[in-house]
Amino acid sequence: MNLPNELLKQFRRNIQTYSIILALIVIWLLFGFLSKGAYLKPQNFSNLFRQMTVTSFLAIGMVLVIVTGNIDLSVGKAAGFISVMVAHLQYRVWHALIPGEALLAATLSVTIGILLGILWGIIEGYVISYQGIPAFIVTLGGLFIMRGAILIRTEGKTIPANQPYLETIAQGYLPADVSWIIAGVVIVFLFFNMFRSRRKKHEYGFELSSLAMDFSMTLFFSVLVGLYVFIVNKYQGIQLPVMLLLITAAILAYVSNNTRFGRYAYAIGGNREAARLSGINIRKSVFQVFVLMGFLTGVGGVVLASYVGYGTIAAGEGYELDAIAAAILGGTSPLGGEGTILGALIGALIMSSLTNGLQILNVAPGWQQLVKGLVLVLAVFADARLKRNR
Amino acid sequence: MKNDIILDFQNVTKRFPGVVALDEVTLQVERGEIHGLCGENGAGKSTLMKILSGVYSFGTYDGSILYEGKELKLESRAIRRANEAGIAIVYQELTLVSSMTVGENVYLGKEPRENGFINWNKLYSDTQKVLKKYNLDVEPQAIVGNLGVGKQQMVEIAKALAVDANVLILDEPTSALTEAETDQLMEIIRSLKAHGVTCIYISHKLDEFFRIADRMTILRDGKVVDTLPTSELSHEALVKMMVGREMHKRFPPSKRKPGDVIMEVEDLHATDPHDSNRMVLNRVTFDLRRGEILGIAGLMGSGRTELAMTLFGEYGKITQGRIVLDGEEIKPSAASYAIQKGLSLVPEDRKGQGLILIQSVRRNISLPNLRQFASFMRINRMAELQATMEQSRNLDIKAPSLEVLVNTLSGGNQQKVVIAKWLMSKPKVLIMDDPCRGVDVGAKFEIYKLMTELAEKGVSIIMTSSELEEVLGMCDRVLVMFEGRSNGLLDISEASQERIMALATGIAESAPAK
Repeated sequence: MNLPNELLKQFRRNIQTYSIILALIVIWLLFGFLSKGAYLKPQNFSNLFRQMTVTSFLAIGMVLVIVTGNIDLSVGKAAGFISVMVAHLQYRVWHALIPGEALLAATLSVTIGILLGILWGIIEGYVISYQGIPAFIVTLGGLFIMRGAILIRTEGKTIPANQPYLETIAQGYLPADVSWIIAGVVIVFLFFNMFRSRRKKHEYGFELSSLAMDFSMTLFFSVLVGLYVFIVNKYQGIQLPVMLLLITAAILAYVSNNTRFGRYAYAIGGNREAARLSGINIRKSVFQVFVLMGFLTGVGGVVLASYVGYGTIAAGEGYELDAIAAAILGGTSPLGGEGTILGALIGALIMSSLTNGLQILNVAPGWQQLVKGLVLVLAVFADARLKRNR
Repeated sequence: MKNDIILDFQNVTKRFPGVVALDEVTLQVERGEIHGLCGENGAGKSTLMKILSGVYSFGTYDGSILYEGKELKLESRAIRRANEAGIAIVYQELTLVSSMTVGENVYLGKEPRENGFINWNKLYSDTQKVLKKYNLDVEPQAIVGNLGVGKQQMVEIAKALAVDANVLILDEPTSALTEAETDQLMEIIRSLKAHGVTCIYISHKLDEFFRIADRMTILRDGKVVDTLPTSELSHEALVKMMVGREMHKRFPPSKRKPGDVIMEVEDLHATDPHDSNRMVLNRVTFDLRRGEILGIAGLMGSGRTELAMTLFGEYGKITQGRIVLDGEEIKPSAASYAIQKGLSLVPEDRKGQGLILIQSVRRNISLPNLRQFASFMRINRMAELQATMEQSRNLDIKAPSLEVLVNTLSGGNQQKVVIAKWLMSKPKVLIMDDPCRGVDVGAKFEIYKLMTELAEKGVSIIMTSSELEEVLGMCDRVLVMFEGRSNGLLDISEASQERIMALATGIAESAPAK
């Protein structure tokens, strides 16, 4: 088989992923054109990625929740509550307890924030999987509870959160040379991984795709990495929260494909009964998925606190819907059983690209929401069409 | 009356990407006859009926269909148009809304209206009329979900007939029915014929054709093999036409010799997991030997499936009795436990319980066996791929690759995927709940052969079946279930259809087997 043919085949097999990437590029070009280039300037480009991080942490967890056939409506407000708690700790508690220990204070805030997220996941997961109450209801209740908790904690006031160290999490950048080193490491890893997987396949006696094919795919991704670092370096370097997000997402993507935990989640969503008869402990798996979601909510909440710099009463409002929209845009089936972490990331990027672009063009907030809604429905419509014609 | 053609298919060809599902199909259906349509899975029966009932609209196929002498052109809203033209279909799977009444179901989508509101009195009286006309013994006000499968099938037929159907297509109507219910259905079909309704009858159970079909069309690989009066056909000739080769034996020969006892079930009682007052197993006692195929026979509702599922730990709550496997008493409480102890279950409902249709062949096969490839957290993809490949090769699963989704495979190959999945854990005892349900003749023989080979290798198989011939042809011994209890354990040499039926209906009582 010659190379173009092989590439075409690869494209067809992953048509869903590639078509949303294509949609993303179209959106970028369109806004770039409409904003006379302002949209694609390094500073804006860098911000674009930074803006998507909080939703993305929630969206990558949401993928697995939806994949198991559940939903979590509480994540936005739970992340909001955690951001408020982090602000509260930073501003009120540590000042009194450990004055002058900024690093220790930030570390404690982050740890407690994440632990709160996990605790929330444990509570929700327990009620949903072990008590058998539908996730929709439990997490809808959770949404109200968290909204209430935010009001109680803030007493309706805004709490400043950022002291040294904590603000770096969402607002820090890596220096240009470090960014290049990271790009180099990633590219070396991509090639190393390609050769390793080819060698493994060979050892087990499987058919290999042509070296030219594998090489050009890896080269393509390497160029993307290089290009990204090149652009963000023109502003301030790799954004720390984006770095955190990508590491988390990469681990999660690996886990979802290559561990029993991940496989079981997809099996449960694909056919609950078949999964049960295959010896899968459904309750345990669903519970674990919610605990993971809680962890990611915790991380999202901490990043939110750092990103906004305050704990506010509106913290996290509507983020659960953005996260769900990102997951669905990225190809997650609302019926469960299907969905990818990478897809959700691209979905989140599309959402933030739209928001950012419309803001640059000074479109009124009402119209921004309207456009986002239309894009979501149109994307799913196009996807359904695409599937039917395949 | 003679040669009065109601439906005339002329050179109908239907292509799907990469496959010709129907290849120049030409056949005539006479008015008022019961026309049998048979062929293996994938022969094109369903595709042909989907064209006739408007699922594939006019223009998506080549050739033409003459209905009452005029060309049938079902373009937009084709299903509705077919219905209005008097062509109705009863699908293999029940398509009723179980929370609604019989009347509501019968007139679903065509409720009689008065000033825009549903006229309930007319709806129920019309339903009553339809039911009466064709001797369907169901109450119009009954909730469908409370009815048995047989009665639901009648509602399904009433629904089709409520539009004054001239042509009624029955697509495997008996696949979920007991023998008594099947008899009743045959009666109903005969009475439809008496009312002048033309029936096209599709089934996998060949003897049904000989009972009611006037003429038969045999399809193979999308082509018509022949159309013949049923009286000119024999069972063997029919099978031969379907598979295109001589089938001397329906069951493979075996030289197996069952060994010592590997599993003993003694005085087993179990209740419904959702209702602890309802006994589903009521004194079941039997033993199973190494390398034996033990059949479990019984009528629908006798506890066959319940027994299979309870042994696997996934249904009944065991209240009394014991199960000893390989010298160790086991208390099955979950599938994971049963798998660990060396039990495997090929469930009854392939699509609903056996497979994850939206996943690949590889993922389906490896699902219950992931522990084998997992070190701490990580699954070794290569080892997984290698093991699934080996299984797939052993079972001769016909799939373009292991990465295709299982819902693209034929029924027989899907069933092989289920079996492969359960053989990978190297079970001591393989429980197969109606393993050949909905599988075509050719694939059936392959599955039988596989079972025989497994038994020869020392795997013990417990097989439930709704077909007595299958039990008699495949098993070493037969356990007969009646009302949740074991009512006799027969050696194959002393078993006969009559003997099993007598035990299964409780006419004969047997002393508990030794």
